[in-house]
Amino acid sequence: MQGRRNFLKLAAGATVGGVAATLPGTVQAKSCGEISWSETVDTLVVGSGFAGLSAALNVKRQGLGSVLVLEKMQVIGGNSAINGGWLAIPKNPTQLAQGINDDSPEELIKDQIISGRGMHNEAALRQIANHALDAYELCIDTGVKFKKDFNIQVGGHNKARAIRTQHGTGGDITTKLYEAGVKEGVDYRLQHYIEDFIMDGQQIIGVKVRKNYRFPDLKTGSSVFIKANKAVILANGGFARNMALREVVDPSLDPTLDCTNALGATGEVTLTAMAHGALPVHMNLIQTGHWGSPDEGGFGWSNALLSIGWHQGAAISVLNGKRFMDERADRKTCSEAIMKNRYQDGSPAYPIVLFNYNNYAEDHRVTRAIRDKMAWKLDSLDDVAAQFNIPASELKRSISEYNTHVNARKDPLFNRKMDTAEVLTGPFVVSRIWPKVHYCMGGLKTDLAARVIDGRSMAPIKNLYAIGEVTGGIHGEARLSSTSCLECLAMGIVVSTTIKADLKGAV
Amino acid sequence: MNKLLLTALLSFVVSQGAVAGELVKMKGSTKGRVNHEFIYQDGCQSCHQGSGKKNATDAACVECHGDINSIDVDETKLAIPEADPHKSLHYNQGASCLACHGEHEKKAPVCAECHRTWFEEM
Ligand SMILES: Cc1cc2nc3c(=O)[nH]c(=O)nc-3n(C[C@H](O)[C@H](O)[C@H](O)COP(=O)(O)OP(=O)(O)OC[C@H]3O[C@@H](n4cnc5c(N)ncnc54)[C@H](O)[C@@H]3O)c2cc1C
Repeated sequence: MQGRRNFLKLAAGATVGGVAATLPGTVQAKSCGEISWSETVDTLVVGSGFAGLSAALNVKRQGLGSVLVLEKMQVIGGNSAINGGWLAIPKNPTQLAQGINDDSPEELIKDQIISGRGMHNEAALRQIANHALDAYELCIDTGVKFKKDFNIQVGGHNKARAIRTQHGTGGDITTKLYEAGVKEGVDYRLQHYIEDFIMDGQQIIGVKVRKNYRFPDLKTGSSVFIKANKAVILANGGFARNMALREVVDPSLDPTLDCTNALGATGEVTLTAMAHGALPVHMNLIQTGHWGSPDEGGFGWSNALLSIGWHQGAAISVLNGKRFMDERADRKTCSEAIMKNRYQDGSPAYPIVLFNYNNYAEDHRVTRAIRDKMAWKLDSLDDVAAQFNIPASELKRSISEYNTHVNARKDPLFNRKMDTAEVLTGPFVVSRIWPKVHYCMGGLKTDLAARVIDGRSMAPIKNLYAIGEVTGGIHGEARLSSTSCLECLAMGIVVSTTIKADLKGAV
Repeated sequence: MNKLLLTALLSFVVSQGAVAGELVKMKGSTKGRVNHEFIYQDGCQSCHQGSGKKNATDAACVECHGDINSIDVDETKLAIPEADPHKSLHYNQGASCLACHGEHEKKAPVCAECHRTWFEEM
C-alpha cells in the first residue's frame, strides 16, 4: 500500500511540474495518477560509457527484447571515450606470451585489497575479476584492437597485466561497442537527459526524460515519459564534475580543482536514485591526481610529462621561488602540499615544475607538451622567473641549493629520494601544476549482481540496476589504475545475466 | 526537400566564391552560414523539424552532407593526422553534428574541451 501511495505522489508531482501545461494530455490528472507514456521499451540504459555500452549489447544478446540507451550529451561515450585505454586482464594472451604464468583473478584482488585499505568489497572485486577474460573477449569480438605485444605493470599492481588499446584511448573500445550495438539492434539516443524516475513503490517502471536537451541548459528540449517493462540500468558514471556535491562530501576539494572527467560527469542520476531510496556509500572517497596542469583541459599530457619532472626535476612555488614538497611522495601528500600555494585572495598560485631540456628533447612527453603549449622551453632561470613572475634571486638561490643536494644525493629539506635527480643547468622544460579531481570511488550500493539496494529496506529496488562508476563501495579508499574499464565491461555482462534470471523468477 | 536540388544549390553557392561556412547576418538578427542561405529563403522548417520552435536535429545535416565519416576534412590543416574530427578516435560515428557545429553562432568543437590548442571555434 505504501508503495502505491508513493506512486500517486510522484505522478501528481509531475503534473504540478508544468508538464501538463506544455504537453497537454501527457499526464492525466485523474485520481489514479496514470502517466501517458510516449513509448515503451523492455530495457532502458542510462548513459553510454563502457558500462552502458557493455550492458546494452549484452542484454540485447540475451534476447530480452528492445534495448534503448539514453545519453544526455551530444557524443557517445562519457569518460570512457576520453579515457586512457588501460585495461587490467589477468591471464590475457599477451601476458601469457611474455611468460607470466602466475597471474590470476585472485592476484588482482590481492592488489586491490591493499589499495582499498579495508574499505573495499572483496566479493564484488572477485565478481569483476572472475569476468575479466569475458570482458577481454567482448572487446576482441566487437573488433577492438590492442597495442601489439603490449602488457605492462602499472601503479599498485604486482604483475604486468595491463593491456592498452591501439590508440591509447578508451574511444577505441566505446566506438566498437557502439557500432556493434547499432548492428545488433540497440537503439541509442543522444541529447536525452534523465530527469526523474517513475516508481511504483519499490519498483521502477520508467523514467522522465528531457528530449532534445542541450547540455548544460535544462530549459532546452521537452519532457517525455518512457516506460521500461523489464529493467532500468543506471550507467551514468561518476560525479567528479559536480563541484557543489564533491565539496559537500569532501571539503578539501574546492572549486579551484579542475577535473579530468568529461563534462557530463555531474551525478544527477545518482542523486535522483538516492531521492527514491537508493543507498549511497563512500560518497566522500574521491581520487585526485596531483599531476594536473591548469594549462590544458581534462587529463592531458601533464601526468606523463611529470613522470620526468618528479624524478629528474624540482617543484617550485611561484610565491617565493622555493621548493615546498617531496616531489616523489604519494598523490594525497603532494596534492595537499600543492594546494597550499595560494595568493592572498585564495586563488591558486600554480607552482612550477622544471627539468633539463637537453636530455629529453626528443621524448614524446616533452614534444607533445610543448607543441600543445602546456609546457615551455626556457633557456635561463631569469627567463623562468620572468615568465612565471617568481622573485629571480630566490629562484636562483633555491636551484643552486637544490643542485648541491642532488650532488650529495640527499635532500635535507624534504627527505626526497634523490637517486634519479639531475643537476639543473638549463635550458629547462617548465610546466605549471594543480591537482585535478579524477574518480569517484563512492556511489550507489548494489548487490553482487548489480541490483540497486534501497537503504530503508536493504533489499533491491525492483527492476533497477547500476553498474560502472555510478556504483560505490567496491574499490574502497583508492581505485587502482586500469580497473575501472574492467569493472564496467565485466558488470555489463553480469547485469545482463541478472536481468534474465530476475525475469525468470518473476514468472 | 529534394537532396539533389540541395546539392546543386550548394555547389552553386560555393562556386560563386563565397567562403562556405562563413557566419553572416541572415534574417533580422539571426545569423547563419553563407552556404545555407538558400535554406533561409525557405523558412526555418527544413532544419527545425517542421517548426522554427523545435530544435534542429542531425537528420537535416545528414540529408545534404551525408554521414560523419563520409565528409572529408582538409588533412593539410590538421595538427596531427589523428586529429581528424570526422574520424575521431574517441567518437567516430557516435558524435552528433551539433557537438561541434552551430548554425547561428560560432562554437568550440567538443575536442577543444581537452585538446585546447588543436581546434579553433567554427
Ligand atoms: C581522462 C581519464 C582517463 C582514464 N583512464 C583510465 C584507464 O586508462 N583505465 C581505466 O580503467 N580507467 C580509466 N579512467 C576511469 C574510467 O575511464 C571511468 O571510471 C569509466 O570510463 C567510467 O565508465 P562509466 O560507463 O561508468 O561512465 P562514463 O563513461 O562516464 O559514462 C556515463 C555516461 O552517462 C551520461 N549521463 C550522466 N548523467 C546522465 C543523465 N542525467 N541522462 C543521460 N545520460 C547521463 C554521461 O554523459 C556519460 O556519457 C579514466 C578516467 C578519465 C576521466
